Amino acid sequence: MSVPYPVASRGPEDAPARPGSASERNMPAPGHDGSWDGPTYYGRPALKPAPFEAEVVGGYIFLAGLSGASALIATVADVTMGERAAGAVRRGRYTALLAPTIGSALLVYDLHTPERFFNMFRVAKATSPMSIGTWILVGFSGCAALTAAAQYASDRGAAPRTARAAARAASLPAAVLGAGLSTYTAALLAATSTPLWAAAPRALAVRFGASAVACGAAALWLGERDGGLARRLETLAAAALAVDLAGDAVSAIAYRRKGVAPAMAGPAGTLEKVVGTGLGAALPLALYAASRLAGRRPPALGTLAALAILVGGAAFRTSIIRAGATSAERPDVSFRFMQPDNLPD
Amino acid sequence: MDNVFHMHPRAAEHHQSSLDRVIPNESELTAGVRIEPGKSYGFFTDTTVCIGCKACEVACKEWNNLPADNLGLSGQSFDNTGALSANTWRHVAFVEKSGAGGVRAQEQQPFQSGWLMMSDVCKHCHHAPCMEACPTGALFKTEFDTVVVQQDICNGCGYCVPACPFGVVEVSKLDGKAHKCTLCYDRLKGGLEPACAKSCPTDSIQFGEVSDLQGRARRRVADLHARGVPQAYLYGTPGAPGATGGMSHLNAFFLLIDRPEVYNLPSAPSRPSRRVAPSLFSGLAAVAGLTLAAALLFSDAERRA
Repeated sequence: MSVPYPVASRGPEDAPARPGSASERNMPAPGHDGSWDGPTYYGRPALKPAPFEAEVVGGYIFLAGLSGASALIATVADVTMGERAAGAVRRGRYTALLAPTIGSALLVYDLHTPERFFNMFRVAKATSPMSIGTWILVGFSGCAALTAAAQYASDRGAAPRTARAAARAASLPAAVLGAGLSTYTAALLAATSTPLWAAAPRALAVRFGASAVACGAAALWLGERDGGLARRLETLAAAALAVDLAGDAVSAIAYRRKGVAPAMAGPAGTLEKVVGTGLGAALPLALYAASRLAGRRPPALGTLAALAILVGGAAFRTSIIRAGATSAERPDVSFRFMQPDNLPD
Repeated sequence: MDNVFHMHPRAAEHHQSSLDRVIPNESELTAGVRIEPGKSYGFFTDTTVCIGCKACEVACKEWNNLPADNLGLSGQSFDNTGALSANTWRHVAFVEKSGAGGVRAQEQQPFQSGWLMMSDVCKHCHHAPCMEACPTGALFKTEFDTVVVQQDICNGCGYCVPACPFGVVEVSKLDGKAHKCTLCYDRLKGGLEPACAKSCPTDSIQFGEVSDLQGRARRRVADLHARGVPQAYLYGTPGAPGATGGMSHLNAFFLLIDRPEVYNLPSAPSRPSRRVAPSLFSGLAAVAGLTLAAALLFSDAERRA
């Protein structure tokens, strides 16, 4: 695309520092960052970061993924293995309650006018992933609550046959909505103007989905006594982590190519690399591979791997929220990102 | 050219200095346009005639009863406002072009080569990303094709804030609701042009029907080109910078004479809602694949048992 303005032009030169201004927050001066050599306006942000609390929203995204994937995996185990997977199915159905309860509470807490949370139910909009997610969460909450209630009834021996049938009937829509619940959060971030979130919409969604499945499998692994099922949950987690790592590699390329990589250079990016990817994906994969090669599986290592997946999954979401805010606050990143060569086709 | 002062014939009906009532369709007298529902209204901000007086900022604060943001000096030329925010819906940007190293140049090229001033405002995008993102329907398109936050609906989720590609909307810490320029929705309803446009002493801010304004702006660019300002261009008209990536056009658009980034505007913003489907379906595909893997793994376990 040809542009009508002179591209060699500079912005305000030798902009004096201002307390709390971009230059005092150790942001690179205009033109001193490899990704952007054009002008900025006194280094001031060109975008506003989302007013989300990283731990709250990151925590919700993590719980949504964990709950959705738990419901999904429990349903698959129920359908394919039936009674033999009863323990994993029960735990999965109860874990699925995390998003409707704690997750919803976190969402309401993050509103700046929480007493009006019900206004989310005024409309349904396909252009707004937050609206899509609201309705997915509502549907999932209903189905997961019904499933868990029926499960509880059958656990207590109240009308066991009816309760089991009801649990299975409610768990099928819960599984479908659970898939949506664990991935719509990526669309929520990608469908913004925040450069880091918008730079790799597909890879981010694949990572969120895969990481959710890994977290669900890890959560169900904890407490699984059936060796055969535990091994298969490990394999499922390993496959999901491999997909996650592939998505990580793809998104890293996109971040570099679209000039948003500097936003990952800070503490949030380090957390994402060390805890999110290193502890949460690379370490468990290595542990699984090592135990497979050694032919034996010390339970402690399996527990370590499962916990690492869960901690890493939570850290990954939180650090993406944080790094996104950094990318919005840095004009060098946002201006580089919003250049004609980065426009979608 | 248009050097003669044209008075609208209706102005003769209001000769007294203090009026006892609101003039019906006052905008016809002040902006030469009658405000009617169903038409598109917006701003054409011609930065080449902005003198940086900030009358627009003051008029906006006065009319909309907006609290002060930061008191004090920024040290960034005459821009002590800084940015658009929940409480600042017009922001005059100042760019001192000449004088590197703190020493002002002794000689300047004619015509604004040393100074750039621009009154920034909400762009009232045709496909407004904030409105598309709003999960409560608080953000809506008015009958004047402008974008407004309904304060009695907004629950402060803040999702419109990262949606905006221009950094306009903000959630107020005072009341926990999102705020931005309403293009003086209340004034438009009463037949008045927006406060900033009415107060602008140089007509840098022009209010009117978007199609009229676009034509006026194109003529202004052609005029500037003919007068030896070849770098003048429009930002936010169809096909121009600022209206890229599915944004169609901005109802509040600008005439600039330097790169958009110099004025703190992005060159090529894109419409965020276009990323919903790719992201959603890629994630679902990944989960579907892993679900299939789980089904194969588990049924294999069942067979071996």
